Amino acid sequence: MNFLLCKFLEFIKTINFSEHIALVLFSILPFALILGFLILTVIGLVLFERKILGYFTQRKGPNRVGFWGILQTTADAVKLLCKENIEISSGDNFLFTLSPIIAFAAIIILWCIIPYNAEFNMINSSVGILIYLIVSSFPMLFHFLAGYSSNNKYSIIGSYRALALTASYSVPIIFTILSIICITNTMNLNNIILFQTKKWIIFSNILGFVIFYISSIAKLNRCPFDLSEAESELVCGYHTEYSGMRFAMFFLGEYAELFVMCILISILFLGGYLPPFNVYLANIFMGNCSLCRYLIYFEQTFWLIFKTLLIIFSIIWIRATLPRFTQKTTLDFFWKYLTPLTIINLIIITFMRI
Amino acid sequence: MLEKIFNLVKALFYGFVTVLWHLFKRPVTEEYPEEKPVLNEYFRGRPFLNSCAGCGYCKRVCPADAIRIIKNERIVEKYIIDLKKCIFCGNCMFYCPSKSMHMSNDFALATNSKSGLQIDIINRR
Amino acid sequence: MDKMILNLGPQHPSTHGVLRLQVVLEGEHVVSCEPDIGYLHRGMEKLAEAKSYIQYLPMVDRVDYLSGFFYSYAFCNAVECLNHIEVPQYANYVRVMMMELNRIASHLLWLGTYLLDLGAISPMFYTFRERETILDYFEKITGQRMMYNYFVFGGVRHNILYLDNVIKIVNNILFKINEYENIITDNPIFLSRTKGIGIISKKKALDWAITGPNLRACGILSDYRMNMHIYDDIEFDIVMSNEGDCYSRYIVRIYEMRESAFIIKQCVDWLKSNKKIPEPSQIFLNNFQKGEIYSYVEAPRGLSFCYLNSVGESTPYRLKWRTGSYYSTQLLKELLKGCSLADIMAIYGSLDVVLPEVDR
Repeated sequence: MNFLLCKFLEFIKTINFSEHIALVLFSILPFALILGFLILTVIGLVLFERKILGYFTQRKGPNRVGFWGILQTTADAVKLLCKENIEISSGDNFLFTLSPIIAFAAIIILWCIIPYNAEFNMINSSVGILIYLIVSSFPMLFHFLAGYSSNNKYSIIGSYRALALTASYSVPIIFTILSIICITNTMNLNNIILFQTKKWIIFSNILGFVIFYISSIAKLNRCPFDLSEAESELVCGYHTEYSGMRFAMFFLGEYAELFVMCILISILFLGGYLPPFNVYLANIFMGNCSLCRYLIYFEQTFWLIFKTLLIIFSIIWIRATLPRFTQKTTLDFFWKYLTPLTIINLIIITFMRI
Repeated sequence: MLEKIFNLVKALFYGFVTVLWHLFKRPVTEEYPEEKPVLNEYFRGRPFLNSCAGCGYCKRVCPADAIRIIKNERIVEKYIIDLKKCIFCGNCMFYCPSKSMHMSNDFALATNSKSGLQIDIINRR
Repeated sequence: MDKMILNLGPQHPSTHGVLRLQVVLEGEHVVSCEPDIGYLHRGMEKLAEAKSYIQYLPMVDRVDYLSGFFYSYAFCNAVECLNHIEVPQYANYVRVMMMELNRIASHLLWLGTYLLDLGAISPMFYTFRERETILDYFEKITGQRMMYNYFVFGGVRHNILYLDNVIKIVNNILFKINEYENIITDNPIFLSRTKGIGIISKKKALDWAITGPNLRACGILSDYRMNMHIYDDIEFDIVMSNEGDCYSRYIVRIYEMRESAFIIKQCVDWLKSNKKIPEPSQIFLNNFQKGEIYSYVEAPRGLSFCYLNSVGESTPYRLKWRTGSYYSTQLLKELLKGCSLADIMAIYGSLDVVLPEVDR
């Protein structure tokens, strides 16, 4: 970040701009940048999922709007934003409006914690992982409030299912992260990535990876753990009553969370922005020139996104294959199998450290 | 126990591989307005009539009362079929004594007005 | 704990039509369930009294839109038996072949939608892909994809064509059924959702007059194809399972599809080696015989009866349908008691209920 700041200030000096305003701008600009990226990513991601899911089932997916259906999700987003804002006649209208907003806002914060490359990391905290855990529990709470406030029986069932699920997947997630902290001795996401320069954590903590992967699918509320919005039982779960802009908020949040969670998996286990075999393509093709230094940042982001997309692809693959768990079997699975396994894993990792 | 886990992993593996295999197959989607479906002679679409003696058998076998024949002294003036009511069962075609009733392959029947669906189908050429 | 009354339906994603289930819930636990039918009542039986036999014939396909051939057969058979109309053997074989193809199509649709109810997406598209090949064949032969109007009194509308296509379709489906089984049968999540869920005991099944695959899944050997004269020269096995839960209903249907494919192959062999009949003449049935008749057919959703009462007029005096789904729906009240909310869809889906058939 310091490197970027220096460059930015140099640039400001050349155009004779006030340095104080520039400093304020420097802290705000990335957030605006992230918001823009987030919306673009989600639009791309929804298209990606629909296309992949289409080809998994021998369909073509969206292919009408724009070339190869590229503008389909944009059109959908515009449609959602233009729709009438329907208020509910009974129920808590304040909470009803508030919950999608906060659920979405929390996810923007998550996006800002992530180190996208060695320099671009907006909130470079020494306890980055803890911040992530705390903030990422916000959306689930507001999903609950959304279901509670919309005064619909399907919504409330979806809400309490979500709440029960939250309790069950949190333990494996936290304990696995604990095992990673045990290995790396740091809670800073950047340092965790740099720790993996020699060997990715997945090789020393394979069980942890599997557990974290399964629990994060539950956290993302996706198949086979999409109990809180199981459409065959609960029409749409907690957002049954939502439409238009508010629904778009939930939808945006859901996919943004999917993306950021997959980034976290790749950071914690797959070396984040580090390239495989620790060799940068830019170094191979360009040698050690000064341009290379800039290119490497882009390449790091590329590797991060590449790993993330691979994980997202696997999650879509799971969605295409598996049926849904029931409430009982999910709780059984998490409390009876996954949680003990996590604790065993943590113990093994701790002993290996000693 | 070990065997159970092995079977579980095997079942999941087969499922995942089968689904992944479909990713590399050609889609079976028919892109409708560009690719028209292939229909053959038996398809029951918009009915048409070559000549009509006005015997009224079709009217008797029609389950939906969609046929109206307007006669002027034994000559059929108008043979009106109401496509709103028509269920395209093909009874009129099958039971026509002179086999003059036919059903074409035209299935795009949408029109802008109600009267566009009550059509005189005699072909006077 | 407070009880909550939840209205599943009439408009609900997984009631396959318009069934209303009044469910009393205690958390996730279902205390009682009251199925409410009649939202799709079209007066099929009363309609028969106002239409002549030939006019009513196209309507019969609409009793159950997924297996139109079976109801068409039951009605034609009733009329033929009452009027002593001779049906040529060739036409009988064509009827059997079409009916068995229809059975496969119906079971494929059930399989796809059932797994969609359980949350798996892709099997639905795969089964619809294979069903499409069958429906395309039906369209080629009969002119329409679902409302065939192909069986007439005294035979079939016109001669069968494209017999090589049938073999191709059937072989393809036999291959694809293995594919579905790879994805579904041993899947641990699928097993956890279906094994031991919604058990129908033998006694209960007989008490509630369940028929068809649902009855065979309870371990009762009952297949009315054994008694139907058109199946006389055809070899086939009856598929049976003993548990009576959702899983055995799934297994029975999967194996029944294979058995149907076997029957179709026999029919095609017979049809290829025998001469075609001339196109049947159109029978108008001006003097209809007096009397009552009860004709039956083993439809994909259970035994179907057609009771026909004629007083010699051009229209039936009374016509009554007995359909398999109606009896399966009755059972829901007992079956859903005590299960969890997610199991409602697993159990209801496994019974293979088609609402138009329930309400007629």
